Amino acid sequence: MLILTLLLLLLLLLITGYAANSILYNRAVYPEESFVKVKKYGLPMLLIEDESVKSFLSNLTSQIAEWLEAGKLQRVVLVIMSKATGEVLERWNFRIETDNEVVEKGVSREKSDKEIMREIQAIMRQVASSITYLPCLDEACVFDVLAYTDADVAVPFTWIESDPKLIANPQMVKLHAFDTKIHKVDTLVSYKNDEWDEEE
Amino acid sequence: MILRTPPPKKLRTDAGGSPPPTGAASSGKQLIIYEDSPLPAPIQTTFHDHSDQYLCTYQCRQMVKADVLDALSKAEKQAQEYQTKLQTLNQNFNEADAERKHLRDKFLYSEQELAAAKGREKMLQEQLLTEINTSQERYTKELQSCHELEVKLQNETNLRQKAESSVATAEEKAKLLEEKLSQLSGSVDREKTRVNNDIAHLGKEAKLSVSRIGADLERMQCRAESAEAETDLLRSQLEHLKQKFDECLHEKTKVDKKLSSFTSQAASSSDNSVLIKNLQEELKRYEAEVREARKLKSQQLDAELLKVKLLEEKSRRERAESELSKLPELQISMDTLEDELSSWKSLLNNIPGVSCPDDIMVKFLALQKEVLDSTMKIGEVSTRFNQLQAALDAAQLGRQNAETEAALAKEKSEALKSDMKRTEVMLSLVTEEKEQLKAVVSELRKSNSEGPVSGVTDVTLVQGIESSLANKENYLKELEKELSQLKDVNNRQRAEIEHLNDKLASEARRMKSLERDSDRLCSEISLLESRLGHGDFAAANTRVLRMVNTLGVENEAKQTIEALQAELQKTRERLQAVEELKSQSGDAGKLVDSHITGKIAQLKEQIVMDEHQRPNGIPVTRFTLQSIYAQSDDEKLEFEYESGNTSILDNQYTSQGEIAKQIEIFIRKFNSIPAFTANLTMESFNRRTLY
Repeated sequence: MLILTLLLLLLLLLITGYAANSILYNRAVYPEESFVKVKKYGLPMLLIEDESVKSFLSNLTSQIAEWLEAGKLQRVVLVIMSKATGEVLERWNFRIETDNEVVEKGVSREKSDKEIMREIQAIMRQVASSITYLPCLDEACVFDVLAYTDADVAVPFTWIESDPKLIANPQMVKLHAFDTKIHKVDTLVSYKNDEWDEEE
Repeated sequence: MILRTPPPKKLRTDAGGSPPPTGAASSGKQLIIYEDSPLPAPIQTTFHDHSDQYLCTYQCRQMVKADVLDALSKAEKQAQEYQTKLQTLNQNFNEADAERKHLRDKFLYSEQELAAAKGREKMLQEQLLTEINTSQERYTKELQSCHELEVKLQNETNLRQKAESSVATAEEKAKLLEEKLSQLSGSVDREKTRVNNDIAHLGKEAKLSVSRIGADLERMQCRAESAEAETDLLRSQLEHLKQKFDECLHEKTKVDKKLSSFTSQAASSSDNSVLIKNLQEELKRYEAEVREARKLKSQQLDAELLKVKLLEEKSRRERAESELSKLPELQISMDTLEDELSSWKSLLNNIPGVSCPDDIMVKFLALQKEVLDSTMKIGEVSTRFNQLQAALDAAQLGRQNAETEAALAKEKSEALKSDMKRTEVMLSLVTEEKEQLKAVVSELRKSNSEGPVSGVTDVTLVQGIESSLANKENYLKELEKELSQLKDVNNRQRAEIEHLNDKLASEARRMKSLERDSDRLCSEISLLESRLGHGDFAAANTRVLRMVNTLGVENEAKQTIEALQAELQKTRERLQAVEELKSQSGDAGKLVDSHITGKIAQLKEQIVMDEHQRPNGIPVTRFTLQSIYAQSDDEKLEFEYESGNTSILDNQYTSQGEIAKQIEIFIRKFNSIPAFTANLTMESFNRRTLY
C-alpha cells in the first residue's frame, strides 16, 4: 500500500501539479512573471505563485487523490476557455485506467522510479513542445478542471455537475502514455481549428 | 557388300582355252604345238598362223607345258574362286531373299501399324473433336455465365450507385441535421449559460436585496425595541412625573387647605402669604415643568416619528436610486432579451414544425431520433454496400476464373489443333512413304519376276525401304511418346491450374474479408479514439464534476466584497449625516447615535455572516450543530469550513469546563471532530436518559 500511495502521489504531482503548471505557462494563460522556476525530475519546471491558483490546485489535488485511491476517477480534463466569450479553446485530456486488482485486492506492482521519471520527462517535454503546433491564444483565457468520475460517486459540496465543455470539430493530437503499473494515463490535447488553417 | 560381278565369260569353241602365252607369242605369231599325248586341241590359230607355223623344241614344249599348267592352275583357282563367289552370291541372294521376305513382312506389319495408327488418329481426332465440342460448350456456358454475371454486375453497380446516392443524400441530410443540431445546441447552451448567469446575477441581487431587507427589518426591529424601551422609560418617567404631579396636587390641596384655614383665621401674616406665593410659584413651576416634560415627550415622539419617516424616505430614495441605476442595465438586458427572443422567434419560424419554444425540445428529440435513425440507416446501407461489394468481388473473381478457364480451354484447343495438324502432317508424310513403299514393293515384285539379275537392285531397294521404315517407326514412336507426354503434361498442368485457381479464389476471398474487417476495425478505432479525445462519455457510468469555488467565483466574491464595502462607506456617510443631525437635535441624537452605531456593527456582522467570507476573499462556510439530546438552546457547536479544513468556534457552550476538556482531547490532540461529536452525543443521551 505504501508503494501504491507513493505512485499515486507521483501521478497526482504529475497531473495536477507540474503538468497543469506547465500547460498554464506554455499556453500563456497567466503571465510569465507569475511563475517561478524549480528543477524536478531532471527538467526545469515552472510553478505558479498566485495564491488563489495554488489553493485551487491544492483543493483539487486533495479530492482527486481521494477518488484515485478509491479507483473512481476516469479522467481529468484541463479546459482553457476564452475569458470574454467562455468558448472552449483547448482541452487537455488525461485519461486514467486503474488496475482494479490493485485497488480492490491490494496486489503490489513494481516499477522502478527511473522508468517512471523518464516517462514523466517525456510527457513534460511533449507538453512544452506542443506550442509548436497548437494555435496561438491571442485573447485573455481562463482555465478550469473537470473530473470524470463513476456515476455512483458522492458529489462533495464544493463540487457540482458540469457539462463536458466540448469543442466542436476539434483537432486532436495524442501524446505519450504514462504507466505506473497501477494507473495508466493517456494524454490527448484537442483544440479548436484555427481559422487560418481552415482557410488553407 | 556389293559383289563384283565377274566379267562376262568369253565364248569358247573348244573345251579348253587358255590365254595366249605372253612370252612366246609376243611377236604376234602363234605356235602350234605338236605333242605326243593327246592334249587339248591346239589353239586355233588365225589364218595368220597357217603362214606362220614353226617347229617347237623340247624346251619350248616344256615351257609351254609349264605355262599351260600355270594357266590351268590359275584357271582352276579362278574357277574355284568363282565357285566360292557364286556360293557366296547364292548365299547372299538367299539372305537377300530372306531379308526381302522379312522386309515384306515388316512392310505388311508397318502397313498394319499404319492402319492402326490411322485408326488411333481417327480415335484421337474424334476425342479431340469431342473435347473441342465439350470445351466449346463449356466456353459457351462460361460465356453465358459471364454474360449473366455481367448483367448481375451491372445490376449490382446500379444498385450500388443508387445506394451510394442514397448514402450521399442521407449523409448530406445527416450533416445538415448535425450542423443544425450543433448550432441549436450551441445557441441553446449559450442561452442557457446566459440565462443561468442572469439567474445567478438576479439571485445574488435578490439575496442582496433580501439581506438588505432583512437588515432593514432587523434595524426596524431594533428601532422598535429601542422605541419600546424609550417608551417604557418615558412611561416610567411619566408615571414618576404623574406621581410627582399627584404629590404636588396633594401638597397643593394641603396648601390650599392650609390657605383656606389661614384665610378663615384672618391671619395677616406676611409670611403665610409669602409661603403661599412660594407654594404657588412652586406649583406653577411644577406645572411648567410638567408641561415642558409633556412638550418634550411630544417633541420626542414627533422627532422619532420624523426620524423614522426620514429613514424610510431615505431607504426608499436609496432603493429608487439603486433601481434607477439598475434601470439602464435592465433596459439593456431587456433589449438583448428582446433581440434574442426575436432571433429565437425567427429561428422558430425557420425551423419547420415548430410553433412555440416548447416544440423545440420535441423537435430536438425528433431531430435526434432522425439523426439516430439516419445513422442506423447509414450503417445498414454501408453494411449492404459492403455485402454488395463482396458479392461484386466474388462475381468478378468468378468472371476472372471463367475467363482464365476459357483462355486455358482456348489454349488447349489451339494446342490440340496444332497437335492435330501435326498428326495430319505426319499422316500425309506416312501416306507418302507408304506410297513410296508401295512403289518400291511393286518394283521389288517386278524385279523378283525378272530374276536374280535384279537382286542387287532389290537389295538396295530393300535396304532403302528398311531404313525408311525404321525411320518411320522411330518417328512414330517419338510422336506417340511426345503425344503421351503432352497429354500427361496437359493433364498435370490443368490439374495444377485448377488447384491454383481454387487456391487463388479462396485466398482472394479471405483477403477481401480480412481487408473489410481491418477497414471496419480501423474505422471503429478511429471513431472511438475521436470520441474519447472529444470527451464523449456514457451518462449511465460517468459523471462530469467541477469545483464550485473556482477562480471565477472567487473573483465574483471579490466583486461582491467590493460592493459591500461601497455600501459600508455609504452607511458611514449616512452616519456622518446623522451625526450632523445629532448636533442639531441634542440629547435625542444620543439615542440615534447609539442606534446607528449598533446598526453599523450589525451591518458589518451581517456582511460577514451573509457572504460567509473573510475579507481576503477565501470562501468560508459556517455550520451550527445541536444535538437532539441537548437540554437547552445554548448547547450548540459552531464549526467553520475553509479550504478543506474544519475548525471549531468558541462560544458559551464550548467554553464550559467539561466541553473545553473534550475539545482539548478530541480535537486538539486527536484531531477528530467526529469522535468529539460522538462522545458528546453519548454523554447528552446518557444525561437525558440515565441521569
